[in-house]
Amino acid sequence: MQEYRLAAFAGGVLAACLGLATLFAPAPLAAWEAERVLESAARFGPRTLAAARQLQQLVERVAQQEEGQRLKPVNDFFNQRIAFREDIDTWGKLDYWASPLETLDRGQGDCEDYAIAKYFSLLAAGVPEGRLRLVYVRAMLAGRPQAHMVLAYYAQPNAEPLILDNLQPEVKPAGARPDLAPVFSFNSEGLWQGVGGSSSGSAVARLSIWREALAKIRAEGF
Amino acid sequence: MSLIRQVWFLVLGVVLASLLGSVAISAASMRSLLQTQLQTKNSDNATALALALSQQGGDAELMSLLISAQFDSGYYQSLRWRRADGSMAFQREAPGRASAAPAWFIALTPISVQPGVAKVSNGWNAAGSIEVLSQSAYAHDELWRATLGTAALLAGAGLAAGGLAYWVLSRIRRPLDRAVVQAEALVQGQYTVVEEPREPELGRLSHAMNTMVRRVQQMFEAQAEQLEVLRVQAHCDALTGMSHRKHFLAELESALTRDEGPARASLVLLRLRDLAGLNQRLGRVAVDQLLVAIGHAVQVYPERVKGCLAGRLNGADFALWLPAPDVAADTAHALADALSASLPAFGAGVQVALGAVELARERPASDWFGAADAALARAESRNGFVVETLVPPGGSSIQGERAWRAQITEALAQGRGRLAEYPVLDREGQVLHLECPLQLQLESAGTYESATRWLPLAQRSRLTAEVDLQAVALALEAIAVDGRPRCVNVAPASLLDGGFVARLRELVFQSPQATRRLGLELAEAAAIQHFELLQEMGRQLRPLGVKLGLEHAGAGLSQVERLYQAGLDYVKLDTAVVKGVSGDAARAAFVRGMVIMLRSLALKVYAEGVADGMDVQALWDCELDGVTGPWATAQGGARR
Repeated sequence: MQEYRLAAFAGGVLAACLGLATLFAPAPLAAWEAERVLESAARFGPRTLAAARQLQQLVERVAQQEEGQRLKPVNDFFNQRIAFREDIDTWGKLDYWASPLETLDRGQGDCEDYAIAKYFSLLAAGVPEGRLRLVYVRAMLAGRPQAHMVLAYYAQPNAEPLILDNLQPEVKPAGARPDLAPVFSFNSEGLWQGVGGSSSGSAVARLSIWREALAKIRAEGF
Repeated sequence: MSLIRQVWFLVLGVVLASLLGSVAISAASMRSLLQTQLQTKNSDNATALALALSQQGGDAELMSLLISAQFDSGYYQSLRWRRADGSMAFQREAPGRASAAPAWFIALTPISVQPGVAKVSNGWNAAGSIEVLSQSAYAHDELWRATLGTAALLAGAGLAAGGLAYWVLSRIRRPLDRAVVQAEALVQGQYTVVEEPREPELGRLSHAMNTMVRRVQQMFEAQAEQLEVLRVQAHCDALTGMSHRKHFLAELESALTRDEGPARASLVLLRLRDLAGLNQRLGRVAVDQLLVAIGHAVQVYPERVKGCLAGRLNGADFALWLPAPDVAADTAHALADALSASLPAFGAGVQVALGAVELARERPASDWFGAADAALARAESRNGFVVETLVPPGGSSIQGERAWRAQITEALAQGRGRLAEYPVLDREGQVLHLECPLQLQLESAGTYESATRWLPLAQRSRLTAEVDLQAVALALEAIAVDGRPRCVNVAPASLLDGGFVARLRELVFQSPQATRRLGLELAEAAAIQHFELLQEMGRQLRPLGVKLGLEHAGAGLSQVERLYQAGLDYVKLDTAVVKGVSGDAARAAFVRGMVIMLRSLALKVYAEGVADGMDVQALWDCELDGVTGPWATAQGGARR
């Protein structure tokens, strides 16, 4: 309640017209708008546009295939094309969640950038949102624990997931990855309700880094 | 709509608009803020709870307990845990709490919040999702409270602004009202000066009007001075400055025929004996000084007593008329004593003879002079400072007065009064209005008596206000019947009666149509003695359409220093002024001067008591607006 009192007080002082933007929630995330993605990519430059065209072709190709067959080409596409680099080196920030196009533009990224790029590419290829989850994991790397993120694919809600990772480029079932200990998982399901994503500029809505990234990515056409 | 009211509405409109606008905007922005906060709270709490649930190793009991603990310790409407296949694993719900805010307010500021959703996992296995929905009634409570607070604060500010505006407007209004009053007074013919306000815009306006008024006043004063010169030329004896014979006779005529005045009066004639002999013995210069000294001695009376008339009839004759009974002998003796003390200084044998008479005022001037001359002749037949008086017995006793008073009161109470009608004619012979003196039937079934008979007594008994009100009431009735304009005399004494003007106002209020054809006239003396009262009467009655005039106006008019402030409609010149204008260029010049002066004040000028057709012609030449008196009555065929 303390928070509400503060908010009420702030409301009394603020006479700004906070638009009704927050009332208009965008439609649920579905397959992408390929044209808009290409337009957005063109703004980055010809190299990014070329990469985006290749991604578009890949997505169109794998969309014809069975769902289980779509994982490997997408996983490989990003694992091969993107070099691992810490955010501080790529973006000059400690933590930055890049959109797929930003990642393709730089040609480098860290574990979230891989997972995010793969997540949206698979959504674009028609994989249902409910079957994909971004998972915070504790990875044992050279005997040392490290915070890491992977993309998990659940063929059935209760099945053992398949893991798309950049540390080990093959798509493997979770059971085959003893080096990874899952901590928490999330996806974009239900997030587009209510508090909207469009307002990355809103001073009042305290959007999480994930919501910010979602808004940005959706604006690019995914 | 008045200027002040327009400004007032403007201020009110701005205050109201800003008040409502501020409250609406602040409520809207607060609503949006609270909605966002509530949504964020739902989402954040869902994520936090999901994070905790994901660490429980899939123990459903433990997870349910955690959900319950979260639910019980917070303000939630529902917490739901759905399995990955969509089925409900566990849920806690509380009924939606009603808000303290009124329903219309909630309808105006809807806060719609979606549940916060987060994924729960158990190791690699998906354990479903958690949905968090908080109570939103608290948000409405707070929004309502804050809106009320804002509204109260702004209403206070609005009231303060309104109060300030009221103060400023009333500050502007005061000088504005003064300027308007001055302007209205100008229209009414009252040239008054007002205090100039400090506000530059209004100050310039008032300054301009004041300047104009002062110029009018200067013009008036200059005219009055000129007029005084004309008056002295026309009416006065060059040596002593007293009225000359012709004017004294005209004045006496007027005094004898006037309504008000005592029933009996006194006349003293004084003659310097042997003027021709004195001229030879003392020389012309010394005799002139002698005559001036006598003139001074006589002149003392009119200077001290209102209504007294004094004049030098011819070379050696002086006359003194006193509007009071029982004083003829005393006055003559007092004059004789004073002169017998002072005249021997001019030489031996300088003596005067005096004749004094007392008569009823209604007797014609010829009777007065006949009696006085007889007394003087008797006095002249003896030597020395001789006084002869002729006082016929009679006069009213106290007993008689009481009876009269009772008769007047009774006549008034029983409405035994009627109005005589004398026309005032214009140059074309049209009736301008009817002069209507009241006549009272003092004895039932007796004759109607004119005011000359009973007015002096009514005055002494302070009955004039009653008398005048009766006359006005009768005049209004008569006007209502035939629509002819009428005017009624008002005694100056009535003005002193505190309730008179208010009662008069009440009376004329009852017949607004007739009121526009009603004139009220007061003797010139009223303007000299009770100027403020006269002005106030004009202020009260003239806006209702009543015309206000001065009657018996003459030399005294130039003594009314602020005639330009009086607010009058017309002036009737006294017989004493207009009588004999046809044969006397100086008198005509004075009348003409008066007409010009009064015209400059936008007053109509009429002549009273005109009997001679030649005089009427001379008066038309003097540009008068109308005449009344015996001539006009004969012309107009008065009904009596």
